[in-house]
Amino acid sequence: MEHSEQQLLDIYRNMVRSRAFEELVIEVMPQWKIPASWMSGVGQEGIVGALSTLAERDYVTYTHRGAYYFITRGSDPGKLLAELYGKRTGYCGGKGGRHIADTAHNLFGKSGTIGGHAPLAVGMATAVQIRKEDAVVMSFFGDGTSNRGTTHESMNLSSVWKLPVVWVCENNGWAGTTPVSISTAVDDIARLAGSYSIPGRSVDGNDVLAVYETTHEAVARARAGDGPSLIELKTYRIREFAEAGPFPTGYRDPDEIEAWQRRDPIDRFRSELLRRGVLTDERVEEIAREAEAEMRSAERFAEESEFPAAEDAFTDLYA
Amino acid sequence: MRTISYVEAMNEALREEMRRDPSVYVLGFGLHLPSKGPGLVSGLLEEFGEQRVRSTPLSEPAVAGSCVGAALAGMRPVASFGLPDFVFCALDEILCKAGKWRYTHGAEGGMSVPLVFLQNMGGYVRAGSEHSQSPLALYAHAPGLKIAAPTTPYDAKGLLKTAIRDDNPVVFFQHKLLGGSKGPVPEEEYCVPFGRAKTVREGSDVTVVATSYMVQLAKKAASDLEERGVDVEVIDPLTIEPLDTERILESVRKTGRLVVVDEDTERCGLGAEIAMQVVEGAFSSLLSAPERVGNPNLPVPYSPVLETAVLPSKERIEEAILRTLAS
Repeated sequence: MEHSEQQLLDIYRNMVRSRAFEELVIEVMPQWKIPASWMSGVGQEGIVGALSTLAERDYVTYTHRGAYYFITRGSDPGKLLAELYGKRTGYCGGKGGRHIADTAHNLFGKSGTIGGHAPLAVGMATAVQIRKEDAVVMSFFGDGTSNRGTTHESMNLSSVWKLPVVWVCENNGWAGTTPVSISTAVDDIARLAGSYSIPGRSVDGNDVLAVYETTHEAVARARAGDGPSLIELKTYRIREFAEAGPFPTGYRDPDEIEAWQRRDPIDRFRSELLRRGVLTDERVEEIAREAEAEMRSAERFAEESEFPAAEDAFTDLYA
Repeated sequence: MRTISYVEAMNEALREEMRRDPSVYVLGFGLHLPSKGPGLVSGLLEEFGEQRVRSTPLSEPAVAGSCVGAALAGMRPVASFGLPDFVFCALDEILCKAGKWRYTHGAEGGMSVPLVFLQNMGGYVRAGSEHSQSPLALYAHAPGLKIAAPTTPYDAKGLLKTAIRDDNPVVFFQHKLLGGSKGPVPEEEYCVPFGRAKTVREGSDVTVVATSYMVQLAKKAASDLEERGVDVEVIDPLTIEPLDTERILESVRKTGRLVVVDEDTERCGLGAEIAMQVVEGAFSSLLSAPERVGNPNLPVPYSPVLETAVLPSKERIEEAILRTLAS
């Protein structure tokens, strides 16, 4: 698949920015500036490839893990971080926390229940279909969520109604402390697609261009009115389930983690772009510096912002 | 004025609102068949087509959640779930998605979740424990939802139109015994506002607040007691959220006595809630302890004898009214 240089650089830059945002969050977490925990998607930035296939008018529903959704869609890292800090200037005025919505970028919020967003994706696609809009809904979920009834009901309904949905499973191997091998009956989650008479493809989730290519096909199919698809990105959760909180550690084989670290999606893409001459060492440095500066500025914004007033708790329940 | 049934009135509300606003659509189980005779969705498929009249699989969570997603994307879905017992499958979608989404995510982005969840509540039809529930209080307990439970065809139509136009999620309760009941409904367009209780019967001795079908039982009890010289005021709140507490307090300040009748299980129910609001707001007016009539925390049993023993009856309402007068 042909990509313009600009497109390749945009994908790379968003992967780096996403990682930089998360590294900042992980840095400030132990200081409890962020009062709730963060679920890191470090090492899963290949997902940027899927997000990069979308147009502004498209919708995305997202999981609890990672910052790539927001960063790639164009959200403001300052407002994202301010929300995590619980500040008034955050995307949800401090009421959402990790449940961030950025409606201007068709990011309508995060479900607190695993799998809660799948039916929402069906509804967004229903809206698109009734209004005959040229938009698709990309709905992300994890391997753990593949076992929720909502996921199955939603995939079935999307197929029955031929809705413009692209279901993207981020199979990172672990749901909390539970490995896929003891929780999920199929080896390839993409095989579930057969139950719903939709195309299903598994792809190396740490190969960002392979992710792009496979997803692009599914998006085109949805846009053409040919219905939903399921794509499984095989990737890995490098960090623990959460950055803080009462979660056990030490249940994974360190060799397994190390093996996946060697397949880091950003490292791999950088090597590829250097090989192609799209990137140079100087440009790599520059992009890293820019991302670092952008996140430091986001941090200052979050730090300097005010908390909401206590009485703000009593507003906004009803429209 | 012409007379039509409760379900015909709701059908008119749906048709009028679907004509008025292209973002309104209905969905539910079994809506793919052309209508035979009067019903909730009669004629809608024929007029609006299958894009806006959607037949769903048995997937309550997916259906309810899809309404939230569609609402976030600018639509106004109206989902008909049949019985509230089935809707329990979708409580996450209703309590945590529909109810909390705006507050949690989105006042800043101007987010709203306009949708209506229709359900046909109530016992008295020998349908057994999982087809007879009336869980108004469950939804009243959850932040962010509005709850309507009309009793007459007039209110059913007017409240449903208001519910569809409201920018918030509305849980809308029909009652199995009221669907066929008839009443006057004007030809001209009207809406019935939320949060304004209706004084069904004026009286000076005891205030009875009754919901849905209980209003009919309360009216019968009030007529019976009139012959015995007891003057009962019956109030139908119409909506549980918003609740017209002021109207209830005003009535209790006049009568000094309160009975709350709700078909649901009594514990932590509307009786407890409304009685407490009266204690907080009109304590000094109370001449006796408030009474409540409901289901004494039992599954609704199947046998007619057993069901009658569990669900509120005219007789139990009369006894409760007389108890408030005895002290």
